[in-house]
Amino acid sequence: MIDVLDLWTVVRFVHVLGAVVWVGGQLTVSVVVLPPVRRLLALEHRGEVLKAVGKRFALITAVGFLPSQITTGVLLAVRHGVTWESLTRPGYGRVLAVKLLLFAFVMAAAAVHGTAQAKGRPGRARTASAAALVGSLGVVLLATGMVEGGHRG
Amino acid sequence: MIEGITLTRRRRAPVFVWGNVLVLGWLAAAVALAAGADRWGLPEWLPLHAFLLGSVTTAIVIWSEHFVVTLCRVQGPSDRKLAIGLTAISVLVTAVLVGVVTDLTALTAVGGAGLAVIATVHTWHLLRWRRTAMVPRFRYLIDFYAAAGAALAIGAVFGAALALGAGWHERALAAHVHVTLLGWVGLSVLGTLFTLLPTTLGTRMSERTARLARRSLWLLAAGLVVAVTGVAVGWSPAAVAGLLVYAAGVGLAMAPLVDALRRRLPRGPAAAMLTAGTAWLAAGVVVDAGRQLVVGPAAALEPVLPVLVVGFAAQVLVGALTWLLPVVLGRGPSEHKDIAAVLGQWWRSRLVAANAAVPLVVLLPTVGWTLAAVAFGGFVVLALAVAAPVALRGEWRPVDGHQLGGLVLGVAVVVLAAGVATGGHSEPTTSAQIRTVDVELDGMDVRPAVVEVAPGTHLVLRVTNREDVRHDLRVDAGPRTKMLRQGETATLDVGVVRDEVKGWCTVAGHRAAGMTITIRTTGGHAHGTDDSTATDGGLDLAGRPSPDWAARDALLAPAPAATTHRIELRVAEQEVEVAPGQKQRMWTFGGTAPGPVLRGKVGDRFEVTLVNDGTIGHSIDFHAGALAPDGPMRTIEPGERLVYSFTAHRPGAWLYHCGTMPMSQHIANGMYGAVVIDPPDLPPVDDEFLLVGSQLYLGEPGSDAQVAKIRAGTPDGWVFNGAAAQYDHAPLTTTVGRRVRIWLVNAGPGDNIAFHVVGGQFDTVYREGARWPTTGAQALDLAPSQGGYVELAFPETGRYPFVDHDMRHAENGAHGYVDVAG
Repeated sequence: MIDVLDLWTVVRFVHVLGAVVWVGGQLTVSVVVLPPVRRLLALEHRGEVLKAVGKRFALITAVGFLPSQITTGVLLAVRHGVTWESLTRPGYGRVLAVKLLLFAFVMAAAAVHGTAQAKGRPGRARTASAAALVGSLGVVLLATGMVEGGHRG
Repeated sequence: MIEGITLTRRRRAPVFVWGNVLVLGWLAAAVALAAGADRWGLPEWLPLHAFLLGSVTTAIVIWSEHFVVTLCRVQGPSDRKLAIGLTAISVLVTAVLVGVVTDLTALTAVGGAGLAVIATVHTWHLLRWRRTAMVPRFRYLIDFYAAAGAALAIGAVFGAALALGAGWHERALAAHVHVTLLGWVGLSVLGTLFTLLPTTLGTRMSERTARLARRSLWLLAAGLVVAVTGVAVGWSPAAVAGLLVYAAGVGLAMAPLVDALRRRLPRGPAAAMLTAGTAWLAAGVVVDAGRQLVVGPAAALEPVLPVLVVGFAAQVLVGALTWLLPVVLGRGPSEHKDIAAVLGQWWRSRLVAANAAVPLVVLLPTVGWTLAAVAFGGFVVLALAVAAPVALRGEWRPVDGHQLGGLVLGVAVVVLAAGVATGGHSEPTTSAQIRTVDVELDGMDVRPAVVEVAPGTHLVLRVTNREDVRHDLRVDAGPRTKMLRQGETATLDVGVVRDEVKGWCTVAGHRAAGMTITIRTTGGHAHGTDDSTATDGGLDLAGRPSPDWAARDALLAPAPAATTHRIELRVAEQEVEVAPGQKQRMWTFGGTAPGPVLRGKVGDRFEVTLVNDGTIGHSIDFHAGALAPDGPMRTIEPGERLVYSFTAHRPGAWLYHCGTMPMSQHIANGMYGAVVIDPPDLPPVDDEFLLVGSQLYLGEPGSDAQVAKIRAGTPDGWVFNGAAAQYDHAPLTTTVGRRVRIWLVNAGPGDNIAFHVVGGQFDTVYREGARWPTTGAQALDLAPSQGGYVELAFPETGRYPFVDHDMRHAENGAHGYVDVAG
């Protein structure tokens, strides 16, 4: 009998929940919030609202999401027996390594988005946010692949 | 010019926009499937049909109805009807694709039949409109489309026959390809180009267009009928003649196009692509005719297919959409222009890439298909970037270049990441056991149909195609061979096998026709775990014997004249074919199970040297001699030997077997054989056979799963002379009237035998040293370790089954035939 709700389940839950909030948040903002905001609000209000949304999302990311994701991620990797050396080997290790790099790309793109927005360069900000969104989906894709790999391993 | 402009001023209804999004969606799916086909182990067939059946067919239906309605001024179908029709096409195409890939024949049949019905309805609509056409000049257009529709209906029937596994596969395939590509696609395109090409060039239609169009249709249709009939019945001259007539029709149809081109050279993307596409059609037909002439009707289609698919169909589709989409999606000239500018981006590079891809697809397939995917995929991205928002919002808005750039950047990074992440073999290839198995593709069969390996075995298949039809072999996990011509061999690295793996030929319809292979794992010891649920695949009596298989000769030679018999028996662990195509490791005396037959007369002396070349202790026990068992029957360890001497004082059919505990396992795993001691008064007969009956337990000898079955007495099969149903494949033979004696020994380890010959009656029965006074017997019953013989003469020619008449045994391997000649 497997204990379904052991401590590791909680760790994994927090990790998955973080991903849900981050990716879901990006999708919600760009697909659900932005179009009506653009359509309904006057230019000056629009900027204000979007700025507030962006700041709040950045705060949640920096204070909540990133620390929690990194902590739980490291715990899960240790639990899975991942070593530095195994990160280069084909299979689980390599997928994990690439996932981390892709995640770093997403974070960088998000940072670019934030600074571009602050400096009043909306074009670059839109490029960065689109890249970040697609990159996040890629992270989830790789993570999904690792679940299967984990079963086989 | 007039026609082109008048028909396109107003924006079409939403169904029209959605219809074109559907065309682009299928095109995108085709490009994605083509790009991922290798990685996901999908057959080439899939992207090809996503493109031709999904994208091109939808486009032809939408646009042919549109052109007929506007040019001939007839009352078209309502938007609702058109929407239903287009939805039905997509659903049916999906059914066909899913059906073929997942091997659900019913789904494929429903899809194919549905498409044939839609094609017929479409044709009927067109013919009905022909009568009401207000502009008779354009009636030729309806004729072209109606002929094309009829071709699609016929093509769908051929296609369904292929998918269901038609026996005349190669010819059906050739007919299917010709009637769909040259008929459905070719006629639709040529008919359309008479008006579309001049429009894209910005010139007027030539005066002689309608006349030439009608004439060319006659040539095209007649050529097509003859060509398709020719390839379908496999008669080259007809195929070549038909193709040449068709080519002449293309030439005639191109005359007005050349007129138009003479007036103005193509400048824009649409005109250039349409012109190049039409040229590829002509080239493809001529190449095809040439190959039919040189190679014959069985000429493989792969040099012609890419020319027609990439050069002609894809290029014409993209060219036409480049011209038509702005009108569909935009409102007013300025929007048309903006959209046309988006769709025309990088068109020169795409044009060059697409046309360079055509020869490359044949010469360097990977480069060619990549180039084609980039060229057409690029258009799909541009077109969807315009069409999808219009379909969703109902209006066009300039594409946000920044956002699009970000999306492209993100996709590129993710694709790169996925490529790096999944590159390389994730299974260690250094695992101990690599096993290579020869596999033959022949007669719409994969031989052997079943391969058994221990779990964890790294399996490599050496695949040879013996048939003059192209085949490949693909396994579940993804790896596959290239398409193999007759006599070609390729190795297929299946990887480390842990669970059952299925394999099949990916040529459409071949899987349905039975070209499958199953790779099974034997009992679970290789894991080093106590996996009591591990099972072998079970007995497969429908399999075919391996190519190098020979039945054990059941003929019994007469006893040698010598009175002392010196025999060396070496215990060997050996791979034995225990059922047709099914091999497994057995413990044997002398390399075979049963071991060699010993025969002598009463009073003969046998000196048997037993050598243990196995990996565990074994022994031997001859029932034919009487002695104290302590010494001769002792167990010897690997590498040891013993001499077992006995004098045969009593006649009979005696068992010998390994007597080491647990004896049930040693006997079940093959350590048994027969000693025949002739009775002094044994009358001569014409043919003497010997059968040793036993139970068959599949699985690795000694594995938990196999031992559990032996202990429970639940064999996987019952066998004569060690292999299930072996004399079904290699019957015993005799002739009418000859006296036949069949000796029998029951080796067990557990079940009785009731030996019976269907259609025969035994006039003599000898059992355990006693000849029965009988006026006729139907079965010889033997408990484990009993022996005897039956005699009979066959009354007439025929094939007489012999069985263990416990039908559970007969139906699971204890079955064979005697072929009786006249």
